[in-house]
Amino acid sequence: PASATKTRKEKEPFEIDFLSPLSTTLAESIYTPASSNTVISLPKKDWKSKTRNLLPDDKHFNSKQLLRLFLKPKARMGTRRIGYGAKPGVFG
Amino acid sequence: TEISSIFRDAQRTTASHRKLVITLRKIHEACCYEPTSNRKNKTNSEDFDEEQFTSEFIRCVLRVMPVKKSESVGERSIRFIGMFLRHANEKDNDLNADDAEEGVMVETPSSRLTAHLMNTVLPLLTSKDKFVRYRSTQLISHIINSLDSIDDDLFQLLRHGLLKRIRDKEAMVRVQAVLGLGRLAGNEADEEAEDSDDDSGAGLLDKLLDVLQNDPSADVRRSLLVNLPILPNTLPFLLERARDQDPATRRALYSRLLPALGDFRHLSLSMREKLLRWGLRDRDENVRKAAGKLFRERWIEDCAGTAGSDGADEAADGEAGNRELKGPSFDGLLELLERIDVVNSGVENGVALEAMKGFWEGRPDYRDDVTFDDNFWDTLTAESVFMARSFNDFCRSEGNGNFEALIEEKMPEVTKLAFYLQRYITVLVETMKRIATEEVMEDEEEEDTVEQEFIVEQLLHIARTLDYSDEVGRRKMFALLRQSLSVPDLPEEVTKLTVEVLRGICAGDAAGEREFCSVVLEAVADVHDTIMDEPLSEDVDESFHSARSEVSGDTTPTRSNKSSKKSGMPEEDDQEKAVREIMVNMKCLHIVQCMLEHVEGNLQQNVDLVAMLNNLVVPAVRSHEAPVRERGLVCLGLSSLLDKSLAEENLNLFMHFFAKGHSALQITALQILTDILNQHGANLLDSNPTVVKMYLKALKSGSKTPEVQAAATVAIAKLMLGRVISEASVAVDDLLRTLVVLYFDPSTAHNQGVRQTLSYFLPVYSFSRKENQDRMRKVALDALHKLFEIQETLDDEGDTEAEMVSLSTVGAHLVDWTDPRKCYVSGDQLTYGNEGAKKAVNGDVHLEFARDLLEKLGSNVPKEEKKTLAPLLAKLYISPASTEPLIREIYQEVSIAIEDKLI
Repeated sequence: PASATKTRKEKEPFEIDFLSPLSTTLAESIYTPASSNTVISLPKKDWKSKTRNLLPDDKHFNSKQLLRLFLKPKARMGTRRIGYGAKPGVFG
Repeated sequence: TEISSIFRDAQRTTASHRKLVITLRKIHEACCYEPTSNRKNKTNSEDFDEEQFTSEFIRCVLRVMPVKKSESVGERSIRFIGMFLRHANEKDNDLNADDAEEGVMVETPSSRLTAHLMNTVLPLLTSKDKFVRYRSTQLISHIINSLDSIDDDLFQLLRHGLLKRIRDKEAMVRVQAVLGLGRLAGNEADEEAEDSDDDSGAGLLDKLLDVLQNDPSADVRRSLLVNLPILPNTLPFLLERARDQDPATRRALYSRLLPALGDFRHLSLSMREKLLRWGLRDRDENVRKAAGKLFRERWIEDCAGTAGSDGADEAADGEAGNRELKGPSFDGLLELLERIDVVNSGVENGVALEAMKGFWEGRPDYRDDVTFDDNFWDTLTAESVFMARSFNDFCRSEGNGNFEALIEEKMPEVTKLAFYLQRYITVLVETMKRIATEEVMEDEEEEDTVEQEFIVEQLLHIARTLDYSDEVGRRKMFALLRQSLSVPDLPEEVTKLTVEVLRGICAGDAAGEREFCSVVLEAVADVHDTIMDEPLSEDVDESFHSARSEVSGDTTPTRSNKSSKKSGMPEEDDQEKAVREIMVNMKCLHIVQCMLEHVEGNLQQNVDLVAMLNNLVVPAVRSHEAPVRERGLVCLGLSSLLDKSLAEENLNLFMHFFAKGHSALQITALQILTDILNQHGANLLDSNPTVVKMYLKALKSGSKTPEVQAAATVAIAKLMLGRVISEASVAVDDLLRTLVVLYFDPSTAHNQGVRQTLSYFLPVYSFSRKENQDRMRKVALDALHKLFEIQETLDDEGDTEAEMVSLSTVGAHLVDWTDPRKCYVSGDQLTYGNEGAKKAVNGDVHLEFARDLLEKLGSNVPKEEKKTLAPLLAKLYISPASTEPLIREIYQEVSIAIEDKLI
């Protein structure tokens, strides 16, 4: 029961303590250099991207196309009822 | 001491930074300029000297270094440090202004402090701790960006240090490094222009452009995009980001870079079109919005600004900030349309229509102010007619009819529009005739025709939307179109639109359709008459109107026989005649094709259509001229959609064209067959197993004809989603499995048509019906096995070019597609978004999947394959609402499997 009523502790806003001297652990973390350049660098294989990070051409395939005949693009597909797509946003 | 308490306050809010900077500067001065500080109030800072100030200052700065990225105090502190250094440097420079020579850097207390600080922070750039690297890079970049000048030697060190960091392992560090270097690249590029023998600037820029293209992190690319200098040699690289993989980066291009670019007219025509098309058709809605805004708010102002003022205050115009929203300028809008080359971008599927739709939507001022008076219609240009057409389209299709009133108010009535249309068609036809008689065509003339054609097309687009309840207007338009249609020189697109408008004018019912067909076919007969030689016309005319002529085939061949017999012309004339005959046939078939696209009724019940089929289409399909034959095929296909028995009779013919034709013809044949199946039902498929074989063959044609493969993928997606290929079809498992394999097969990696269709189709298919999902489950492991084999051969060949997603990823997709919680359940027992209900869904499909997996694991499939299968078991969803005996059964099987150490 006690735990149920326990309010969640507010995260204390973080502040830098400028007044006190630098602790050794902190100093260590600041001053320890990386053991080698490769440890802190991006692996060479990631320097180049095959696609130049670009998208391929969009083909804009969509449900509208599915409901049209190839030969009669202006006419909707016959009398057939299509048994899907009644629910919006499911496949996004 | 005081310094540290200033820092303590500075981290809390940026609001007090100005005050704190001044206080800190006072202490700084007190420490460094002892003599002058004597007359100030006594503070204890006087007891300290410059060295002590520096060391205390640096001590505080160092405290910021290990702060995590997520803590905003770090960011604020660094901004404070930068602000202070800027302030201190300015103050010192003021103090030294008297004895400093122009352009020479004088050493001051703040430059010493800066140098000292930088030298302390520089080694931290290669710290082991990523946050120390992050903060030190951030600090250096920030200082570079806040100071006007930095000591040369120090500058080189900073530049070098930052350059190393553009390859840092952490994206956040790289972001900071490019922020600093972007500014340097700009400066160096400027200097470069003056002093071109130094290539370091270009070197830096090249490096950054390389990062812009290749960095795996979108944040890095995006920071570069907005921070690199915009130069002739950087612009292509920046604009390329319009297709970046990251939506936010694409949006940044449209919402930040392009507006900052200045006048868009400096971009090349093709670049404008591309940017517009990519932006307005982006897959991400926010990018589309940003592109639309750019067009209707920035680009229009670029044109409206100059168009309105006519160069009178050109100078003031250059000031971007000076530009306020003026009243609508229609000259500006017309120029904008010209600048996006509306004659080309305004055609069907061009981007101009979308751009203008957004324009009318987002600019009510233009919407309300636009007028189309008589003078407007008298002097149409490509731009002005497109303005009217796009306005008409917008008002009719958007805003739920709220803009209908605008149409009433601004657009002319049917009779008037018909009158203008007639005028522009006449001009077009006359020009076409003149050109036909001339030997050589001049460029200017050609351009003229293109514009006149465009004007007529746009008017027809408007005519398509009109209300024809007014009988006088209706008759006028009807007569005009009927008459135009029989002009043999009428361009194809105009013909197509004319037929479409005619269909709209005739009533929608069966009688209207008969009227439509008969009037179009009359025109076809006219076209025949006007071109064919007189002795022939009678013949043709007769055959056209005779509904009795059952089989035809012989009309076309005899035609040429007769004529050659009759006149015995020289060979040259014969050849000319043959060419003309082809042209006539092509033209007639085209009109018929346009007509058939709008016909719905039964073919046999319409005598005109039967005659057309027998006298024009059937002979065409048998023609020895390939273009005629192929167009005839399309018409025969369209006719088959109207008559099931005709479709059945010709099924083999269409398949023959698929088997023997070139790739474009194969696609046509595929599409015809697919439409026929859609129209007439699946039993055609089941009674003709060769059709299924054809589809499978087409799906596997990727290496030779990727476009056929893509067309087949779309076709099958349609048939399966439309349930034409239903559960009952024997072929369905084969087809679905093939599609799943294709989706992951590395051979389709470059066939975006296939990939994008399937990335839509596969989840939609699986989630739309329970039966579909179960079918997906059924083929899943076979597909996975096939893919396993593909990967094996890939490894053997050591082919590094072809990349394939890992089998575990494939497995994850299969599990996802068969997830019962994602399947659509019809009816109201489940509403989407109801999580509790989703969890309680019947989960048999995943239980069956588990059984399939266990069976495979117990069989003798390769060990490697089992390794990819076993983890899938853990990803299945076991629903409490599944069939109980099945749960028990699977539980037992799992237990056995564990005992047997299968898993």
